[in-house]
Amino acid sequence: MKLVYKVSPNYRDSLSTQEIMIKLCLGLLVVFIASDVYYFVNYGVEFGLRAIGLLISSIISAILTEVVWCYFTKKNIKESLMASFPWVTAIILTLMCQVSVSYYALIVSTILCIFFGKLVFGGFGQNVFNPAALGRSIIAASFTSSVVNDFVTGATPTSTISSMGWFMSEATFNNAIGKFNGLFGLFLGTHSGAIGETSVLIILLVGIYLAFKNVIDYRVPVVYICTLFFTTLIIGLINGQGIWFPLFHVLTGGAMFGAVFMMTDPVTNPTVIPGRIVFAMGCAFLTVLIRINANLPEGVMYSILLMNALTPAIEKIFDCGQIQDEKKNLKYVLITLVCGILICVGMSLYKVSNTEVVSNNSAKVVALYK
Amino acid sequence: MSFLFGQMNLHLNGQKELSSHKETIKIQAPSVVKVPLVYGNIVYNLLVKEGDEVKVGTKIAERNDHFYVPVYSPVSGVVKGVEKVINSSLKPTDHISIENDGKYEVNKPLSPLDFSTASNEELVEFVKQAGIVGCGGAGFPTYVKYNNPKNIETLIINAVECEPFITADYKMIDTNMDLLVTGVRAMFKMSNAKQALVAIKKTKKDLIGKLQKAFSEYENIKVSLVPDVYPMGWERTLVYELTKKRYQKLPSEAGCIVSNATTAIALANALVNGMPITQKVVTVSGDGIKEPTNVLCFVGTPVKELVNTCGGYISENITVIDGGPMMGRSVTSDEFVITTSTNAITVLQSKKEKEIPCLRCGRCSDHCPAGLQPVRINMANKTQDIVALDKLRVNECIECGLCTFVCPSKIEVTEGVRRAKRYMALKAKK
Repeated sequence: MKLVYKVSPNYRDSLSTQEIMIKLCLGLLVVFIASDVYYFVNYGVEFGLRAIGLLISSIISAILTEVVWCYFTKKNIKESLMASFPWVTAIILTLMCQVSVSYYALIVSTILCIFFGKLVFGGFGQNVFNPAALGRSIIAASFTSSVVNDFVTGATPTSTISSMGWFMSEATFNNAIGKFNGLFGLFLGTHSGAIGETSVLIILLVGIYLAFKNVIDYRVPVVYICTLFFTTLIIGLINGQGIWFPLFHVLTGGAMFGAVFMMTDPVTNPTVIPGRIVFAMGCAFLTVLIRINANLPEGVMYSILLMNALTPAIEKIFDCGQIQDEKKNLKYVLITLVCGILICVGMSLYKVSNTEVVSNNSAKVVALYK
Repeated sequence: MSFLFGQMNLHLNGQKELSSHKETIKIQAPSVVKVPLVYGNIVYNLLVKEGDEVKVGTKIAERNDHFYVPVYSPVSGVVKGVEKVINSSLKPTDHISIENDGKYEVNKPLSPLDFSTASNEELVEFVKQAGIVGCGGAGFPTYVKYNNPKNIETLIINAVECEPFITADYKMIDTNMDLLVTGVRAMFKMSNAKQALVAIKKTKKDLIGKLQKAFSEYENIKVSLVPDVYPMGWERTLVYELTKKRYQKLPSEAGCIVSNATTAIALANALVNGMPITQKVVTVSGDGIKEPTNVLCFVGTPVKELVNTCGGYISENITVIDGGPMMGRSVTSDEFVITTSTNAITVLQSKKEKEIPCLRCGRCSDHCPAGLQPVRINMANKTQDIVALDKLRVNECIECGLCTFVCPSKIEVTEGVRRAKRYMALKAKK
């Protein structure tokens, strides 16, 4: 008979991190399968199989990277893998790429994002940046031309509207977005784009399931989408745009995918609820700024990476008692909200006036030459 | 639950059916009972010496620092002296051992008092002399709460019993309904409150009906149903649930006094029969004991006796806990004894959880009933960041254990917070 000493409590919930990750993977696979069915039906077997091939090669390269790392750092390979979940990063990364991405680009960026995005920081739970977003940014920065040529994906909805300067009449907008079957088409996802980002409907359903199962915090996507909607609504109203403007921002460019699967990544977002709310708001404001004021039409990924960098700072300001300092926390959240909206609206006005100045100037130049 | 907060509590699988519907077994006192003379860091003054004859109810020691608590002998017999016995702090501490002569001769230390005619001062003095302490586990002297109460709106009788496995309060209430009514009425009188609420979990259906019937003739005493979540029995959570008020230090700031139902029964027993707490109903339950049940035993009985009564341990590696599985402390010897505030012994099969790195999910912060951030406290403790620990209000932790319970990575979060508290205490001393 042995009486074993153990610190209290000696009672545990059955939910484990492994279970959370399995549910997350299942959710991601549902999104993948739904999109892959779309590719099989609309683009043929070749592209359907290609999407599967991309997914598998990314998962394998992610696992192999970790295996090599474990070998050189002398860790138990099986145990480390079971507590590190490299495949989640690989699945998310593949879902963020277009089906036309080359195997080479995907594999290299997977290896780099697992290695530099996660392992060198100390592995699972220690990484500052969302590894999948990091991988996608590597592709965006280094492999934009590394796509297979025989696939006609064309411009995405966001890049189409972005190249037209964002502010336009409703008729122009409907005309431009016609080839994507309109706003409802964007909602259903019946157009080409990143493999997993197109169908808002399916992502929404999976997101609701995951939130219900306590895998993700529902506050993050809700706050993100609401902030994105209302900020763009205000910007749209000031600049004389219709309701299509905020709706388009919410439905396009992986906003929903980022909100459900990437901003909710527990490792890289703040641990406390007011912190997560500020984090989600920050992502929304940065998305708006990057889309409207910068040259990158798909702002979601960069907004996540930038906010990831701010996560430690956010956690620091919310280091306090949640009940005891409730008012202070609420104050910080409201300050972020007001400042964010003011900055976004101001920057959109600046863009509009700047465009006018530029066009005025060029008109003057033209007049001069005449 | 608001948008800015997590749920701050959680429904646990209570497994109360293991012991709730079994007969309470009554056991005799062992040949030698050992009554603890130490409570936390406070040492009691011994009032008897070796060779003295004592009876049931003879005052053998008293606590005389800023609180006064007398200790009464649970059996009759001869004082054998003071010996060191391990207690739940894992240190050998002073216990007075009394050889039981098996006669249980009674020397009532208190004369029964009719609370309806007694003045409040008399009642509080009576509670003080009876040595009534909170029976919920903390053992706080009851008379202190009722001494000169001011602006009290609500008296809350805590019959929630939110820790898993424990059914001692349930059994006590079920078998002592008359005493409960008397005790609650006496407390109600002492508190000068406008209303009294007897809080019980919604799920204890059979007991709710009985309670409502028992209190039906008293207009200001109501039975309140609270959700079956942990830690609903904690004063702050309970006061907030019933009044939506929060307070800094004491429930009286929110106009409340909270007392345990078993304490009320103990008080009534003293008022009616003139007897202090000499026996306790203790739940012996868990997955490591053969026949989980409630045991009525004398204060000072070694836990080993209770375990034997319940059929012994199930396997070789066992964790014995003084209290429930969430807040109770595991003890490495089953020689430790039942005290006046013990309500449960939990026996679990010892299995090691596999810990993996923290994924920073924040589940601990969302569930913390005190609104703290256990994950941040653990991080700050690793770097011994005393400024951050202070901001994180680490000293307001009550070690309810919910953070460890919910942690999906199976990390000992509560222990990390405890370490942080110890570190802060160490720094404060310097």
